[in-house]
Amino acid sequence: MSDKETTHFGYKEVEKDAKAGMVADVFHSVAARYDLMNDLMSGGIHRIWKRFTIELSGVRKNNAVLDIAGGTGDLAARFAELVGPEGRVVLADINDSMLQVGRDKLLDQGRQGNIEFVQADAQFLPFPDNSFDCVTIAFGLRNVTDINLALRSMLRVLKPGGRLLVLEFSKPQNPLLSKAYDTYSFRVLPVMGRLVTNDSESYQYLAESIRKHPDQGTLKNMMEDAGFCQCEYHNMTGGVVALHRGIKA
Amino acid sequence: MTTTIDPTLHTAALAALEAGLNRTLDLSPQSKSGLARLEDCVFALHCTAPTLDIYLHPSAQGIRLAGTHHGAVTTSIKGEASDFTELATSRDPTATLINGGLELEGDSAPLIALQQVLATLDIDWEAPLVATLGDVAGHQLAQTLRHAFSWGKQASTGLTRQLEEFVHEEARLSPPRLEVEDFYRDLQELGLRVDRLQSRAERLQLRLQNARS
Repeated sequence: MSDKETTHFGYKEVEKDAKAGMVADVFHSVAARYDLMNDLMSGGIHRIWKRFTIELSGVRKNNAVLDIAGGTGDLAARFAELVGPEGRVVLADINDSMLQVGRDKLLDQGRQGNIEFVQADAQFLPFPDNSFDCVTIAFGLRNVTDINLALRSMLRVLKPGGRLLVLEFSKPQNPLLSKAYDTYSFRVLPVMGRLVTNDSESYQYLAESIRKHPDQGTLKNMMEDAGFCQCEYHNMTGGVVALHRGIKA
Repeated sequence: MTTTIDPTLHTAALAALEAGLNRTLDLSPQSKSGLARLEDCVFALHCTAPTLDIYLHPSAQGIRLAGTHHGAVTTSIKGEASDFTELATSRDPTATLINGGLELEGDSAPLIALQQVLATLDIDWEAPLVATLGDVAGHQLAQTLRHAFSWGKQASTGLTRQLEEFVHEEARLSPPRLEVEDFYRDLQELGLRVDRLQSRAERLQLRLQNARS
């Protein structure tokens, strides 16, 4: 290994500059069947987690919302209904394959006028300061190379009083559930990935990246260190997923 | 944590309830126009037994249910599940709000409008039946269902009226409403007279005491 800075890619240590490309390869591979795999892997529960995120976002008419790592646009579609024709929703994703799937899906549903599609890196958001009432990132933060940098970038683009919501896999609170979850993640998911997308490695990475992601308390501290206030989190499905919320003062 | 229940369960239950409610509203186009008039209203239902908070956001598309809400609320009501059921099914929601066990905060008019929309759902079964069974069979079945519902409603009204008549007039198990009202009026009058008599007696007693001294 060279003396360059490193970060984790699943359980592997890789050079920081290389991670984004490796994550991109994962998502290029699964983009076409991303929604189907989400439904299969979570038994449809990911819709409930996202619904709770929307509830807690407090988004209302005329708001401006940024959905980072928006993928296939589940959150952006709902936000577009809530903000109305005078509002603004930006669906951003670093990965062009995912963004294309999301854009096609939303346009096919007839959603246009208040939605923009932007290819952007969460660490260097290409928006002016104080632009959004709400920023969300669902199942995307663990793939970001430098989480602290991304959190500071999100804080910058939020308006004062704006909310950041981070929906991400986390640490199950019950030891029994944790064991069952580990078995499911490392035994069942890769097989499911191989059968549906012909790619077991991407789902092996998914399981590993979840384990390397900061737990509930650590992520809350990171948000506070980045400058967010009133930070809190809600465990869902026994802590398999946690929704963190912070406010820009 | 805002709720003691896992948010997944809470949210899933609300999602299911919302889907059922909106599917029913889809069959009653008249109700949708009533909901459109309540577009910017938010109703908070705080149930104390079981402990549950539900926020209703009506719109022309239906009703959105949420477990949390940040912002102003048009009307907030608090009470037990049985009180909410009583309000939802009441023919006179104003009287239920005044006399029932619900605590109300905010504007009651939009809440009564919402209750009326939900209580007077006019469900058109024909459209989904025709879409599923075809024109002829769907129409026939819808007609039969309509007759059955209409007969059921008439039978229920008739039975209630006859039962009331039997209890009051035939079996004399309970006095008729007019008799009860007369009785209470007489009782009120008697109460007033007793009060007046007591005042006169007290005044007379005072005069006697003054005369003696």
